[in-house]
Amino acid sequence: MAVNNKIRQFFFPSLTLKFLIRVSLVALFAYLFFGYLCIPFTIQGTSMDPTYHHGGVNFCWRPSYFFSEPKRFDVVTVRFAGIKVMLLKRVVAQEGEQVEFRDGKLFVDGKEIEEPYVRYPCTWNLPPRRVEKDCVYVVGDNRNMPIENHHFGQASKNRIVGVPLW
Amino acid sequence: MVKIKYLLIGVLIVILGILAAVIFFPNKEKRVKKQFNLLSEWVSRSPDENTFTLLQKMKNIGNLFDEHCELKAPSQSLSGSYTREEISAYAGSARSYFSQLDLKFYDLHVVFPENEVAKVNLTARLTGKSTAGEQVDETRELECVLRKIENKWLFGEIEIVEVLKK
Repeated sequence: MAVNNKIRQFFFPSLTLKFLIRVSLVALFAYLFFGYLCIPFTIQGTSMDPTYHHGGVNFCWRPSYFFSEPKRFDVVTVRFAGIKVMLLKRVVAQEGEQVEFRDGKLFVDGKEIEEPYVRYPCTWNLPPRRVEKDCVYVVGDNRNMPIENHHFGQASKNRIVGVPLW
Repeated sequence: MVKIKYLLIGVLIVILGILAAVIFFPNKEKRVKKQFNLLSEWVSRSPDENTFTLLQKMKNIGNLFDEHCELKAPSQSLSGSYTREEISAYAGSARSYFSQLDLKFYDLHVVFPENEVAKVNLTARLTGKSTAGEQVDETRELECVLRKIENKWLFGEIEIVEVLKK
């Protein structure tokens, strides 16, 4: 009888002031946590295949870059438009470095960079360009498309929102 | 008891007065945002739109812009200064490629650097279906400058924010 009451109380709690305050605090915490720290998102597009797939669900963990900077090979979310639209890309070069593509291979400061996460063939050619101050160079992992159809390039560090949680 | 009744009536009248002031005398920011609502309404197109509505919307789109409007886009071919009539013509021509078109604006952030100048940062999303059956879904961040001319807020500059520079 006591167990039944406890189960009943768990699923149908009494609307006491204490309960309402608890619910309000949980709701406030959830709003702040999932709104500003750990932002849920769905992946649209195939530019990060096979690392991240179209339709996948993940969370953008913002505190990663509160006290540090994005490094090469970090997968980051880049604020694209407003607060709701972000790009998911990988950092391949940092400010001051020279980036180029030759026959699909990435070169940074003249040295070829090993990219084991690029699984599909790539034939891109892009003349060298230097990454500007306070910027990073981001590219998707799926480069199996004409270079004009892939959204990549240097982005201001201010636009880096965070990293995917997994 | 009677005093409380008069007090309640008084409070109600004040609330109604405030509501009326808000609705019938919108502030600057609301008037600027209204221009975006109008632009969204007049650019959008439904499959059953008749010729009369089409022509009316084309004309209305032009009336939202200043005599000369500056467009800055990452693609140099689109950048330039356009007259109101040119904008109407291009808008009409562009709309004719779509059987269905929807333009929505989100996250409008309005500032007034000068009394009769508004600078708006926003997200624009264009969705629709071309006459060839292709689905369109494009999102961009825009920065717009509107100027108050003859008591109307008109678009003077539109810049498509370049997030990733190749």
